[in-house]
Order: sequence, then C-alpha cells, then structure tokens
Amino acid sequence: MYIHDLNQDQAEKVLLTGPDTCVIADNKTIRPCVGCFGCWVKTPGRCVIKDGYEHMGELLGKTTELIIISKMTYGGFSPFVKNVLDRSISYIHPYFQIRNAEMHHQRRYDNVIKIRAFFYGDHITQEEKNTAKSYVEAVCINLDAQFEEIRFASMDELMEGNLC
Amino acid sequence: MLTIAFINGSPKAKESASGCLLKELKGFLQDSEITEFRLRTAEGRDLAEILKNDVLVFSFPLYVDGIPSHLLRCLTQLEELSKESKPTAKVYAICNSGFYEGHQNRHALQMIENWCAKSELNWGQGIGIGGGGMILSIQSVPSGKGPKKKISSALATMAGNILSTRSESNLYTAPGFPRFLYKLSAEMGWRQAVKANGHKTGDLSTRR
Repeated sequence: MYIHDLNQDQAEKVLLTGPDTCVIADNKTIRPCVGCFGCWVKTPGRCVIKDGYEHMGELLGKTTELIIISKMTYGGFSPFVKNVLDRSISYIHPYFQIRNAEMHHQRRYDNVIKIRAFFYGDHITQEEKNTAKSYVEAVCINLDAQFEEIRFASMDELMEGNLC
Repeated sequence: MLTIAFINGSPKAKESASGCLLKELKGFLQDSEITEFRLRTAEGRDLAEILKNDVLVFSFPLYVDGIPSHLLRCLTQLEELSKESKPTAKVYAICNSGFYEGHQNRHALQMIENWCAKSELNWGQGIGIGGGGMILSIQSVPSGKGPKKKISSALATMAGNILSTRSESNLYTAPGFPRFLYKLSAEMGWRQAVKANGHKTGDLSTRR
C-alpha cells in the first residue's frame, strides 16, 4: 500500500504499482477524524464517516508493506497523510497492552506491516529529521508494525528517484 | 496586560479533555486577557486574530503519535500568515493522550516546536499528559488534589512561565492513578460503549 500526498503527475513518476498495490491518494474529499471512536464501538473495524476513506482499517489489515510518501511537515506527515492515519485507527483494537514498558493498543489483525517513510521538501531542517526518525518509529510501535526505513529528499530528488 | 490566545484543538463539539486542561490553566493566569479559539475544522477562522496575541497556548489530543490533522492544517495556514504579519508571540502547548505515559506526547510537542521555528515564533514550553481518558471524569476534583495533583502542578508551572514569557523544558505527567487500574477501567468503558451501541463485547474485535 502507498499512502501519499503527491499530485497525479508526480505520483505517476514515483510510484511502482502492480495488481496487488493499493494506493491511497488525496481526492479532496477526506474529512478529519472527529474523535468519536465510532470505528471501535458503533461499526467496529470501520470508520463511521462515509467519504471514501472509511475502509482504511480493513485495508491496512490486508497490507504487508506500507510506503508513506509525505511532504515534511514540522517533523511529521503532511495534513492529508496524517488525516489518513487518523482515520485508520480501526486497524487496531481499543484495548491496551504494555509493550516496551509503555501502554499501546492491542492488535485487531494478525498481519505485521513493514513501514517505509519517505519525506520530501526543499527546506527540511535537521530538527525536523530528528523528530521524524523518532516519530515514525513510535508510529510503528503503536501499530505493532515493523520499521523498515526512513528517507529524506527534495522534491527534485524524489522525482529523480534519488532518495538520500 | 498580557494577551493570551487559548487554542483548543479538540475536534469535539462539547466537553473535551483539551478544554478541561485549558480551564484549569486559566485558573492560574490572573491579570491577563485570555481569548479562546476553537479549531475543530480545517476552515480555521480567526487565524489572523490568534497571531496578534503575546502568548499562544495550544491544547489538543494526541492522534496517532502526532498532531490531529485538522489542527495540523491550521498550523500550516498560520505559518503562511506569520510570514506576512511577523508575529512575536511565545508559544506553549499541552498535549494529552489516552495512553498512560505522558512522554508519549513528546513527538507532537516537538512538532509544535518545529512549527514555531518555521513560523519564526518563540517556543516556550510543552506539557505531555497521559491518562487523557480520565481527565473529564476528574474535572470536579479541586485543583491540586488527589488524582489531579501532578497535572495541576505542571499547569501551575506552565502558568508561571507564561506570565513571565519564559522558556523551560517540557514536562510530562499523568493523573495520580495506578496504570493497571486505568487500563482495566478503560477496557470496561469500551465494553459498556459497544453494548450501548447494540453490539456484543466480542464485536470489539471484529475483523472486516
């Protein structure tokens, strides 16, 4: 699965897709999570907001590799990519468990997702890189996923496939 | 008089832990002019007004280890506005999460600090608060007492820093309540909630 915030032309240059690839892109209809927890207690496993992004939890439940391509935004993902992740919490279970001596959510599905994150931007600071490295690892721990790699690039480098 | 913008970043229309924490902070901020803003949607109005204040205090819930997307969109808009208006505000932030450990909010606070750098605003201090699931249920407990003691202390420290527009290291705290009981209480709450919606307890584990 790809989750990205590129426009169509940019995505066509960068993404390698096949028959089993799911691409989550910005079709300008996504609505923010409202913190209602309906995806846990009203329609367990599915978001209650019907805007085309309500199936994120179940899609992630069928995913083994996730590549996130996002504009660097203060050390985290862009508003669209973060919106998708906020709308994905039905992937996990509301119950807690202790992992790494911290409280995290139990898993709902058995699949373990390998996560790669590519951040692009023309003025990425060292502080943003430091935050992003620690942040993506924390997201992996919370999703009980496997951290694979994180890379940073300018938009030009991203378009050339030159991620450093 | 110091002008302070309270920015409630909770998406909830009614009561929220974020609002509850701002209410308690307000009690420590005498002799200051506080304006409250709600940023529930991406169509952030009043954004230019926010930047006119001496101090900005954000209070928001942790979403997937970071800033909720609706608030993040507003921050990108505020960054653009700051390039025109050249504000000089000092920024403080309170992030609460459903996890017990306050330090799990650290990335969201770092992101606010990074936003300050991009917007040429001055970072003051952040508080990461765990156990957010019980903040509303203890709101009637007097400030500084019982399970509120540690949270009240952190908010009082932040208030002192706000009043003197001082920067200090982030603080991390949680309600004074055992972690295992918090975990059990939360799970009981989920069982009650799913039943109230006409489901069985086992439906909490539904796979699609």
